[in-house]
Amino acid sequence: MSILEGKYAATMDMWPLEAKEFTRIYPFYDNLKEGRFTTTKCRDCGKQAFPPRVICPECLSENLEWIDLPTRGRVLVVTEEEVGVPFGFDTPLIHAIVDLGGQLTMFVHIVNCKMGQLKEGDEVKLVVFPIDPLPVDGKKGAIDLRERVFYAFEKV
Amino acid sequence: MRNVCVIAGGQSVWGVRQASERDLFQEAGKAAFEDNPAISNKDIDGLIVGSAFTERCSFQTHLAPLVAESLGIKPVNVCCRVELLCATGSSGIILADAMIRSGKADVIMVIGGEKLYTPQRWEVFYSELGTGDHDFDGAQGLGLPPPAFAAIAKQHMKLYGTTEEQLAMVSVKNRRNGLNNKKGQFREEITLEQALNAKTIVRPLKIFDCCPVTDGAAAIILAAEEKAKYLTDKPLVYFRGSGQATVHNMSANIPSWTTWEALKIASQQAYKNARVTAKDINVAQTHDCFTISEIIEYEDLGFCEKGEGGYFIQEGKSDFGGQVPVNTDGGLLSCGHPFGGTGIRQGIEIMHQLRGDAVRQVEGARIGLTHNLSGLTAAHTVLIYGRDLE
Repeated sequence: MSILEGKYAATMDMWPLEAKEFTRIYPFYDNLKEGRFTTTKCRDCGKQAFPPRVICPECLSENLEWIDLPTRGRVLVVTEEEVGVPFGFDTPLIHAIVDLGGQLTMFVHIVNCKMGQLKEGDEVKLVVFPIDPLPVDGKKGAIDLRERVFYAFEKV
Repeated sequence: MRNVCVIAGGQSVWGVRQASERDLFQEAGKAAFEDNPAISNKDIDGLIVGSAFTERCSFQTHLAPLVAESLGIKPVNVCCRVELLCATGSSGIILADAMIRSGKADVIMVIGGEKLYTPQRWEVFYSELGTGDHDFDGAQGLGLPPPAFAAIAKQHMKLYGTTEEQLAMVSVKNRRNGLNNKKGQFREEITLEQALNAKTIVRPLKIFDCCPVTDGAAAIILAAEEKAKYLTDKPLVYFRGSGQATVHNMSANIPSWTTWEALKIASQQAYKNARVTAKDINVAQTHDCFTISEIIEYEDLGFCEKGEGGYFIQEGKSDFGGQVPVNTDGGLLSCGHPFGGTGIRQGIEIMHQLRGDAVRQVEGARIGLTHNLSGLTAAHTVLIYGRDLE
């Protein structure tokens, strides 16, 4: 058997590379571990961007600060995927367009929810959960497992 | 600046193919040469290859030289790959036009396609998590398009009163148009009842509202006008102009789910460059990845007023004999959608329509349009072709 051990090779990590060695926005994930949902804001022009950046998309300044976003929001649209859910997610896969306190509207994964339970106008809150650790090459062939977390939302 | 013409095009059979990526590209290239026997692989001085999932599904990067070698093409002016997911093929055509127009090449083949069915079928859905914003939307289980287009459909219905019947009419029309397309994935008609009672994917979208996953490739050959006159005795089809625009990528930055700003920008740019208006378009191939997409495209391309897309299909205005027949070869809903091949397939259908030799001909068509959207409606690409220069 080769390194594949009889498994089919799927060379994609479905989660972000969150460790400090692999991303300059690692504070987003550090903050997430503390239950905070954060992004970057430009200290020069005031532009608040999401996802977080290393350069302001408005004025190209590098003078950015981390700010907290609301962790509760209101549901605008619900979708329930019954067929063809991607590997790594449960069926039905429920999503909602949520409005986070008028600051941000985005499409998010809704967890801990059954078909028909979530409705327009419902309040949802941030949920942070552990995901597969990132195996990083260590010294002398050792594998250094880095803890990772990710987020979704659930009905309040 | 020189004028640019489309002088040949062809495609492999599209569907669930027992064939590899390289097999499909060879079939498409041969089909393009067979469309116009006056052109051979020796005439091609530039090759632009399009594929979005070549690394994901065939573990092959540096694809252009492989395709060149497979088809006996020895390009000297350009030999590279382009990628813009569902608009990959159209992106290649835009770049080929620019190179030929500016004199950097004379005859370019643009060839695009995908091998999407891998030994384990879950993998293609999994791979689509990498097609929006991998780190932020993908990790929310977004990337596979149905949830996003279901959310769009729900909002369009709420805002404008669009109905599930009107959505179903798009798939019934496009299935009918694809009936005699020998290269298409689906060649059976469906009834309105079948469409409405089909299996739900994400409410309100049912299976016939969604385009399938497809293996396939297509190739088109563009040439400078002077070269074209020498290489073909078929009617000349001119590349008239294009627009390609994006105003957001991640779902958090979508300005409107039901009015596609980037499509309005791309189409206005294309109309300006081609010196035409929406009213001048005689035939269009638009990106019907979902039935709701085609309805919004009628509106944002300017074929009808905002919110009237549902009535446009209901009143037959996008069918043969209507204001502008749309997806005359069956569209993505019938032909299938191997991302890199789609824009090229659309260009080939417009070439046939303007030459007057299409399978389902729009009588007297002089100006044709193709459109692709890519990502979570993130980018829009509009190309315009004409039988005349003005």
